[in-house]
Amino acid sequence: MSGCFTVVKPGLQTCVQELPGRIGFLEQGFPFSGPFDAWSFRQANLLVGNDRDAAALECQFLGPTLKFQSDCQIGITGADMRPELDGEVVPMWTTIEVKAGQQLVLGAAIAGARSYLGFSGGIATEPVLGSRAVFHQAGVGGCALVAGQDVPLGGGAGANEIVTIPADKRPGFSNDKRWSIEALKGPNDDWLSDETTEIFFSVDWKVQAKSSRTGIRLTGPEFAFSERALNKNADHGHDPSNIIDHGYPLGAVNLAGQTPIILVHDSPSTGGFINPFTVASAALWKLGQVKPNEVLNFRCIDRAEATELRAEIDAATRPEVLERV
Amino acid sequence: MLYDEPRFYPGGDCAIEVELGDEMDFTINFIVHKLVAAVRDAKFEAILDLIPELASFQISYDPDLMRYEDLCREVSAIYADLGRGATGALPSRLITIPVLYFDGETEACIADYRRTYSEKTPDPELVCQLNGLSDRAALKRLHSGTEYWVAALGFWPGLCSLLPLNPRARIIAPKYNPPRTHTPKGAIGIGGALTCIYPDATPGGYQLIGHTPASTYDGEQRLPDFKDSLALFRAGDRVRFVPVDPEEYDDIKSRVAAGSYRHDIVDYQVFSVDRYLDWAKAQEAEA
Repeated sequence: MSGCFTVVKPGLQTCVQELPGRIGFLEQGFPFSGPFDAWSFRQANLLVGNDRDAAALECQFLGPTLKFQSDCQIGITGADMRPELDGEVVPMWTTIEVKAGQQLVLGAAIAGARSYLGFSGGIATEPVLGSRAVFHQAGVGGCALVAGQDVPLGGGAGANEIVTIPADKRPGFSNDKRWSIEALKGPNDDWLSDETTEIFFSVDWKVQAKSSRTGIRLTGPEFAFSERALNKNADHGHDPSNIIDHGYPLGAVNLAGQTPIILVHDSPSTGGFINPFTVASAALWKLGQVKPNEVLNFRCIDRAEATELRAEIDAATRPEVLERV
Repeated sequence: MLYDEPRFYPGGDCAIEVELGDEMDFTINFIVHKLVAAVRDAKFEAILDLIPELASFQISYDPDLMRYEDLCREVSAIYADLGRGATGALPSRLITIPVLYFDGETEACIADYRRTYSEKTPDPELVCQLNGLSDRAALKRLHSGTEYWVAALGFWPGLCSLLPLNPRARIIAPKYNPPRTHTPKGAIGIGGALTCIYPDATPGGYQLIGHTPASTYDGEQRLPDFKDSLALFRAGDRVRFVPVDPEEYDDIKSRVAAGSYRHDIVDYQVFSVDRYLDWAKAQEAEA
């Protein structure tokens, strides 16, 4: 059994995403894409009995209005966009049964920045280069939803019963506009002065309005460089932050001149600027929920701690966490 | 300079940067590709993706399947087996790209930038000044007088980094500071020691010297040469720029629009690294 829903209002850049993203094409310049907050994304799928990596919707800042053409289950997680079904408020983090003809409205995000909408059976758009994940800016795997568009759903039995994600297993959103972001030194921390590295991990970094799925721009103190950056082969380029083009890791804190930009899911795969620090993979979800003008504090961790954090999130995004309502 | 040993730098908990040298140089790039191919052939389950670049490569991996230290050790062992030499022969396509040098579209883009940054020297004049070239005609002759090596792809789907294969055709240019917010699709630019062809309308920083009407990226796979891939180039291809006049430029443009344009792709040549390096040395000695 498969169905579809129709987009009545698209919201602000609502995109289909899927895990693990577009793997194997970085060397041709295609970023991984995939959900910005994979924790919430996976829990949305769990609520409707899907594989946790199935294609679902990512809604950014302002959610869409959707009209269902078939019966299905949905699960809403991530940022609170005050979801309403036919004018009635519906709960998040819980399985919702929807009938054909019903209309779902998501509003503006109150806490967090991105909501996730899972559908039983998953979204069944055509994969491009092995993935349904949308890289909106280049139109790879499709684009953001537009009004009038029908989005196909796959066949799926759905969850056997109404289930919920217990509060202590959900991602914890900041309520004081400050986020502690775990990050590791490298790959290019040796291009900065030791003092600058210390400063990076101790001061407030403000998120600029010009932030999106292609990068989170930060405002903060100036960077000072080491001998390696100041006294280098001319092939690296003129600015101290220039390096011979190299690969950009997901989550890298990229330094272009004096502006740090955190490289996220739709960011360039390569380029000619240094990456002194990299956000831990288990902290990437937080960047998907950060809003402009909020403050980031980076906490320096090592690979052992990054491994523990990955394990915690992995455990929180398995069917075992579900509770019957 | 090619380092004695690969240098490993962690990029968070899921990526490794492996540096082999610190120059934009054919030999280092060739060894990067050789090592990446060998690492790929070893089929490590933990490796998700590889990006060969000018003098380094990036490994994206699953740290729950293999530890950082173990993966670095494996790559070092593969490198030790391969040796540090650039030798051998490989099939290499030769792709001809038609160019209208100093065309209206990129000239307008440069003029637009200079409305905000009036002190910026127009791109072709800046490149001429920095490389001791007398005028635009000399720049056009030098730029179209060599084959280029596709050293890497990245930053944007299909964006290529091209190294001139003739060492006498090396042209150097700084990148825009600040970068442009817009570059026309098909613009041809020089940054550092590289040439690129913008596959799509994107921000950019390379100095613009011309425009090709031929697509190097086709997201809809409309053109026949994109049946198997969205991007035209692969690392290890060679590119030659051929100047065209406005009439031919317009003709190609209309054939691209009609979906009938075929690229000139020669796919029967084998590129001998040893013979190339001998030739390059002789070219340099002459210069």
